[in-house]
Parts: sequence; structure tokens; C-alpha cells
Amino acid sequence: MEFTIRAATLEDCKDISRMILELAEYEKVSDQVKIAQRDLEQDGFSKNPFFHGIIAEVPEHLKSKEDSCMYFFTGHTKVGYSLYFYTYSSWKGRAVYMEDLYVMPEFRGKGIGKALMSKVSQLGLAAGCTQLNFTVLDWNKSSLDFYLKQGCWDVTSDLGYHCMRCEGDALEHLAQGGL
Amino acid sequence: MRFTICAAKPEDCKDIARMIMELAVYEKMPDQVKISHKELERDGFGPNPFYQCLVAEVPEEHKSKDGHTKVGYALFFYTYSTWKGRTVYMEDLYVMPEYRGKGMGKALIATVAKVAKEQHCVRLQFSVLDWNKPSLDFYLSKGAEDLTAKEGWHFLRFHGIALDNLAQEAP
Repeated sequence: MEFTIRAATLEDCKDISRMILELAEYEKVSDQVKIAQRDLEQDGFSKNPFFHGIIAEVPEHLKSKEDSCMYFFTGHTKVGYSLYFYTYSSWKGRAVYMEDLYVMPEFRGKGIGKALMSKVSQLGLAAGCTQLNFTVLDWNKSSLDFYLKQGCWDVTSDLGYHCMRCEGDALEHLAQGGL
Repeated sequence: MRFTICAAKPEDCKDIARMIMELAVYEKMPDQVKISHKELERDGFGPNPFYQCLVAEVPEEHKSKDGHTKVGYALFFYTYSTWKGRTVYMEDLYVMPEYRGKGMGKALIATVAKVAKEQHCVRLQFSVLDWNKPSLDFYLSKGAEDLTAKEGWHFLRFHGIALDNLAQEAP
């Protein structure tokens, strides 16, 4: 299938927001999404962006057939995205973290997901990064298999690192103890 | 014991590099440290820094056996959740063993949390090794959740040849 991979622009935020919701539905937690298109515009396209995006686009004649919105359907040409940002390993230096990788179901199996991930790694290497990191849910066997097949390793299973988080009241209380 | 928590300066990088190595020894992986104070200086203090760092310092009269006054650090950076927005990731939190139990670790993480909130971040995330019970207990007592245990999240990584191979396939 014909498709292009390019850097996301401000105008893409509407489609990115749509696909974020689709991905959250796939991960069974769509009620968890609290940010909207305008947050993406502000946080991704200002002077010091919090993230960078890549879009997978198909030509008009290959646009999507299905849409969850029953009221206004035009078909989508932006059919996948990856959202990433630069991080730092105190052992290895510059790294890149891939927060999301998503391809609409009807466009899967055509190399788009792999192309998006490859682009993130290419950009990361160009920026001097030595790692591409991300997380996957342990029940998501199809994604785990896809990634392991590409040569990555499971740092949690192999080394025992656990993801930890403070938010809400816990974060408030913690911050109140700061100097 | 009196101590201060301040934003790191470029001249702190030698001490930060020293303490990074001490933390790696504690985590039983000292051979994994590949960067030095030079990379820390380059990557933390330019126009687009890759990280932020706080340093805990004691007065001269409390310096360590080896003569150090910089006795702890927290290294963090801004990240993004496509569900919740701006977040902070704390890459390292470390206090030299002889200075533990005096509130420095708590002050360091609390200051990271305070900075996070000032930047409108809604989450503070980090990782802990599953055998590191003292650290796990410390964080859980502060209200942190273990997402790996609770929700099944695993960290995955590409590096070395696998990363090169992946990049070569980019359109």
C-alpha cells in the first residue's frame, strides 16, 4: 500500500487526538484520556515542545472506510502516528522515548507501524541517542511479539525494572515537602 | 543535619558523574555506565537540555570521608502522556549512604515534584528494580503506585545493532 511518513504539523493535532482516543479504546481505557486537541497544539508546537510527532498518511483514493463518529464522516487519510520525546539515561546519555505507536486497524499489516517506528529510531540516532525506549502492557501479546521480533528486549522481564508513578493527591503531598 | 537542594551547575557534573557511578554500583550494574561528566555538561546545560538536575549539598564541616560536600542528586526530564499531558520522569534519585536517613532523599524527590507542578505536570514517573525493597517501600509510602505490578506495564528497549537495523528501514 502507498503511504508516506512525515513530521506532524499543528494541523495534524485533530487527527492525532482522534487516533489517541482510538488507541485508548484498544487499550481498554478510553475514559482515561483527559487532554484534547488544543493541549496537543500548545504542548507539541510551542518554543520548547514536550513531544514530537510523526504521521502516516495514505493518498485520498485509499482513505479509511470506517469511522466511529456516525454523524460526520469524510474518511481519513491520516491513518497512523507515533509520538515521541527525548529523554536521558544517566548511564548511556541521550535516548528517545516512544510514547505512542498506532495504526488504524484497517491499515495494519502493511508495514506502516514498522515504518513509523523506524522513523523514530532514525531521528533518534540522528540526534545522538543510543536507546529507543517504550512500554507495552503485558497482556498485549500481538504488540509484544511485534516488538520482540524487531530485536528489542523486555527490560522489566530481564532486569526487573518496575514503572512507578505519583499523581493526584500523592503528587500534591510530595510537592509540599519540597525545599 | 543542615543541607541545601539547588539546581545543578555545569561545575557539578564531576560530582554528579561520581554519584551516578555509585548508584550503578548499588544497582549491581557499574559496567553499564558509558557516559562521563563531559556528556553531562554537554547535554544538561545547552539551549535545549536533555535533562534537569538537583544537587543536595552539606556545609564543609559535614563533608564526607572522601571530602565531598555534594552528597545527593536527582536527575529528571519532562515527558508527555497522550492521555494526561505534561509529565516528569525522574531518571535517578541518590543520596550517599553515610547521608541517608536525614531527609535528603525525601527533599530531593519533593523538590522534583514541586518543579513538576510549577510546570503544570500532572505525573511524576520513575522506575525501581524489583529487588530494591528499601526504595520500593520508600516510594510506596509516599503514595506512588507500582504500575508494573498493578497494570502490567513493561519497559521495552532497542539499542545497539537492533536499533541500527530498525533505523535503516526508515522510509
